[in-house]
Amino acid sequence: MSLLNVTDLHASVITDDGAQPILKGLTLNVRPGEVHAIMGPNGSGKSTLANVLAGRPGYTVDSGTATLTERGLLELEPFERAQLGLFLAFQYPVEIPGVSNMEFLKASIDSLARARGDEQPNTATYMKQVRELAASLDLDPAFLKRGVNEGFSGGEKKRNEIMQLLLLQPKLALLDETDSGLDIDALKVVAEGVNRYRSANNGVVLITHYQRLLDYIVPDFVHVLSNGKIIESGDKSLALELEAKGYAWLT
Amino acid sequence: MADLTLPTTLAVPEWLATLPDSGALPEVLEQALNSPAHRERWKYTKPAPFVAATQHPMIDPQISGETQSGVVLRQSIDAPLAGFDLEQGPEAIARLCYADRVLTLDISASANEPIVINHAGNTRPMVIRVAAGVSLTLIENANAGDNAQQSIWIELAPNAQVQHSRNALDDAPSHWQYLNVRLQAGAHYQLNNHVTGCGSRRQDIHIIMDGQGADATLVSAGKIERGKALDQQVTLEHRQPRGQSKQTVHNIVANGGKCTFNGRIHIHEGAAGTNAQLSNKNLGMGEHATINTKPELEIYTDDVSCSHGATVGTISQDALFYLTSRGIDRTDAEGLLSQGFLRQCIDGPLADQALATLTGKAGEAA
Repeated sequence: MSLLNVTDLHASVITDDGAQPILKGLTLNVRPGEVHAIMGPNGSGKSTLANVLAGRPGYTVDSGTATLTERGLLELEPFERAQLGLFLAFQYPVEIPGVSNMEFLKASIDSLARARGDEQPNTATYMKQVRELAASLDLDPAFLKRGVNEGFSGGEKKRNEIMQLLLLQPKLALLDETDSGLDIDALKVVAEGVNRYRSANNGVVLITHYQRLLDYIVPDFVHVLSNGKIIESGDKSLALELEAKGYAWLT
Repeated sequence: MADLTLPTTLAVPEWLATLPDSGALPEVLEQALNSPAHRERWKYTKPAPFVAATQHPMIDPQISGETQSGVVLRQSIDAPLAGFDLEQGPEAIARLCYADRVLTLDISASANEPIVINHAGNTRPMVIRVAAGVSLTLIENANAGDNAQQSIWIELAPNAQVQHSRNALDDAPSHWQYLNVRLQAGAHYQLNNHVTGCGSRRQDIHIIMDGQGADATLVSAGKIERGKALDQQVTLEHRQPRGQSKQTVHNIVANGGKCTFNGRIHIHEGAAGTNAQLSNKNLGMGEHATINTKPELEIYTDDVSCSHGATVGTISQDALFYLTSRGIDRTDAEGLLSQGFLRQCIDGPLADQALATLTGKAGEAA
């Protein structure tokens, strides 16, 4: 069974000069239990893939399909995609002053529970869970009262993304350069969080520039994205080869 | 535009007769009502109904906390306050003349309990005098009827401290609040202002930093629904050196609502070392929200630090995408973002009521 299936996806980013094609026939299949790393040079379309799948405004899908658990993603609103089980860990998490992390997470959990037809978790249970998760990711629990990502360092923002991943337990996690801007200790904390999330029932698509993250999150597949298409796929050894040789030998 | 005239002949009380520098008070007031500066301040709200209402019958506000030691009500006034300003508030001075009496509140010792003032209608002018070194928590609620007006002067002696919280959350057809605060050396004043639009609501706030090292903070959150209006005019004068002032005003305006904000910082010659900041942010929630904003700076001295800024925008699409990407539907996400925008400016003892009215929910303030 396929968890995420992307077939011949063509998509453009909308700019002042009109739509610029970025994805030019991308195909990717992720089954439950798999971790796929997507690597590629700047401008190859890595972040566009994450944003198009999550439904960020500013992109248009020109052709192709994408399904999550065999349901079409591309016609859904971003919140419906999340309710279906998609999670995007942002490359640049947004600061939202005035909306506390606690309130935001509660709204998210309640919305997802409603969508699944589950009972909404009681506040005490949920707060205990959030505090424990925060502590396990070296996030000061005091952050829960602050505005969403407000005044967070780059590392705290990324750890907050991983905390949400562990709290919301989506079916598929898209991690968009979650390693960028992290020092080695923070990188280990983030990787450990992703490894805790991994299970036979979910999948991970890891977008990264560097092989370094893959020392800590071992992927089942590595793909090289270039000019909007996957041009090479392999196992972890492909990442090591890229690290040694760069991308030029493939493109 | 027709000239503004006072509704009926003024009987000037004896204690006010010395107020104008030259000429008779009624003529001086009418000149001020028709000055270019006055027209500019009333550019987006029709002044005539407000001027006409200055002579309406007045009642006393309901006051509690006045029986504490160090608090005295209804003292006499024998001379104009230094903060009385004919140019900035001619309507307020007119109300002093039309009123059968002025309500005074003198605070000579720090009170344990707050003084609470409720305006259930068109209330008599108030003069609040806070003695040197004394701390006061002042809570003010307006729940006013048609044409209700309030005019309040607060005089802070050296090193006095006043925490002032004010809610105007009713839906009166029209409502005018005039507030004048004068701070002497080392005095601290903070106003937490929470307000909704109503038929036509006008808030004039005049803060005078009249002693060295005075410190004033104004934080205001406003919500203007469809068909409602709010006009806020703030003048903050730094007359003496080393004063600090900070103003943060957030207003959210629904489709069909109208909001005006004019914030003027005036730094007089000699007020060196002043630090003055003003930020006004407005969120329009529809294509037909009307927002007028004008931050102004007048600086007549060197060696000051000043910042002012105003923004008019809609909900951040990046923030909206972030929230919806976590499964929160668009309507709920917009609700969270607009609540968050106002919550940044909701604080103090009246925060709970303000949160409930302005954001539709209880919770923790900023």
